[in-house]
Amino acid sequence: MNGTRPLSVVLSLAAVLVVFLLVVWIGPSFNESLQLDETALIRFVFVGVGLLAVFVVYWFTRDNAAWEVGTREVVYMAIGAALYAVFSYLFNGTVFVVPSVSQVALRPAIAIPMFFGYAFGPVVGFFSGAVGNMFGDALTGFGLYPQWSVANGLVGMISGMIALYVDKKRAMDAVLYISAALAAVTTLIWILNPTLENLMFFDVDAGIFGDAAISTFAGLSAVVGFVLVVLIRLIFRENIDLAAAVTWAMLGNFIGIGFASISDIWVNGYSPSVAIVGEFLPAAGPNMIFAAILVPILIGAYNALQRQIGR
Amino acid sequence: MLVTWRYRDRKSLIQSFDPSAWIIFYTCFIVATIFFWDIRYLSFLLIIALVVVFTSKVTWGESRRAWLFIGGFVVFFAVLTFLTGRGGMEVYEEEHVITTLRAPFTLFGWRPALDITLERAMFGLSQMVRVFSMASVTILIPYTLNPAHYGISFRRLGLPDKIAYAMDLTMRFIPTFGRDFQLTMDAQRARGYEIEKLSGGLFSQVRKLAPLIVPVTIHAIAGSEDIIDAMDLRGFGIGPRTWLTELKFKRRDYALTVFGGVLLNALGG
Repeated sequence: MNGTRPLSVVLSLAAVLVVFLLVVWIGPSFNESLQLDETALIRFVFVGVGLLAVFVVYWFTRDNAAWEVGTREVVYMAIGAALYAVFSYLFNGTVFVVPSVSQVALRPAIAIPMFFGYAFGPVVGFFSGAVGNMFGDALTGFGLYPQWSVANGLVGMISGMIALYVDKKRAMDAVLYISAALAAVTTLIWILNPTLENLMFFDVDAGIFGDAAISTFAGLSAVVGFVLVVLIRLIFRENIDLAAAVTWAMLGNFIGIGFASISDIWVNGYSPSVAIVGEFLPAAGPNMIFAAILVPILIGAYNALQRQIGR
Repeated sequence: MLVTWRYRDRKSLIQSFDPSAWIIFYTCFIVATIFFWDIRYLSFLLIIALVVVFTSKVTWGESRRAWLFIGGFVVFFAVLTFLTGRGGMEVYEEEHVITTLRAPFTLFGWRPALDITLERAMFGLSQMVRVFSMASVTILIPYTLNPAHYGISFRRLGLPDKIAYAMDLTMRFIPTFGRDFQLTMDAQRARGYEIEKLSGGLFSQVRKLAPLIVPVTIHAIAGSEDIIDAMDLRGFGIGPRTWLTELKFKRRDYALTVFGGVLLNALGG
């Protein structure tokens, strides 16, 4: 397998950011539909931006064997997407009344695209996240939120990008630093805006419909998740694959959910601080806690299965 | 063992079309619905959805659970929107208050009050019509689309063979994994596991979900070896794929596709 320099991925992400900014700044002068109030069109613009991000990352690393799709990958893509759809449907709070702790509801399904990305590569991770989210929304009847499907695909794909690197330890350290910076910046925004509402928290019995001020735990959840991931890194020092899987899942979660939350600045007209504090932190923070606990358990079970079947 | 959706040949209007034509129309319909909040346009789309539903020959008995779930969901979120006005702020800018309901009690000196406004009421109604229209045509898909046609339909829509087949398998696996989840939950319940009574802190609760998630996931991966072997033995992926079933567009399929396009352009554009 050829190694890929971390610089190429950073350049790819920077290129996507530039395109994203161009759409926002120059787009309206070409097409008035790109004004902020055309929410439906903006949704599809962000789908295009997300897919472009995927393509750019692929293009810069296309020689890597991690992008190959054979029979095995096709089947795992389908399994990952179907499992993510089923678990999303079951744990979305409408089938099981899932408990919540300090405004954090249990939505463990996100561990599926993260695990499939790590175990079977970025293509399987992307398909599992994007198609699984689409079918999960369709099953639930939530309607279609295409930019969120792409965001879930990004979570799976980035979780699988570990396969692009030969020096997993070095790449993991870089990912850890980037994630630390993202956790710090988003938490700082919460510290500066502690009274904003948690848009992701619903408690019908208590009459709360996404309008309760964000709790301290939800506000700190990105930092809590980051600390958990660091602990896993330290505890499983000898098992570099497991630590790397959780670390890359964290970055995937930050970038994927961050992409969807930032898109809602234009789609739903949120202010940047509302998008970060009200949407990103209550979604991405708990996801990292699920990733830190469930992904290692899934990897352990999968390794045992591999030893058993010899493949 | 694969479990299938409750598909059967019903000789209905929806089944008289080519699946690819139906998927194109369905996509146009959903996108057109997403574009609109105006109740007049949404009513037109609702009528189309109701025509499709009432001619589908899907009985209440076989689809009751899905309808009740969607009905509850749609009403809940419409009421939620009506009460909070959430989500409507980007559609309307000012609100005309019809009446204000005040609670007969106070909480620490504050008396809860609810503004009933014309805009919120219309927005809630629009949301109900909108989501119901999308959900009702979506519910019909597993009952009316032949599982044998999933793959070829996606292929004819332009997806590469491998992605089309992955979509095919995804749709086939969903009911199977739903069944596996139910079996796993029953087995764990027999051992005293109760998902409704998860206790402890957040970390403890997340860890306690593992006995449900891990067996279903690992069982699915282990079971996939047979499918992978079968596909490899048949030479999957070594050349352009041929499909057992051949689908041909008839005049009515072209008409449905054009209608979908017109719907999207006339309303969305």
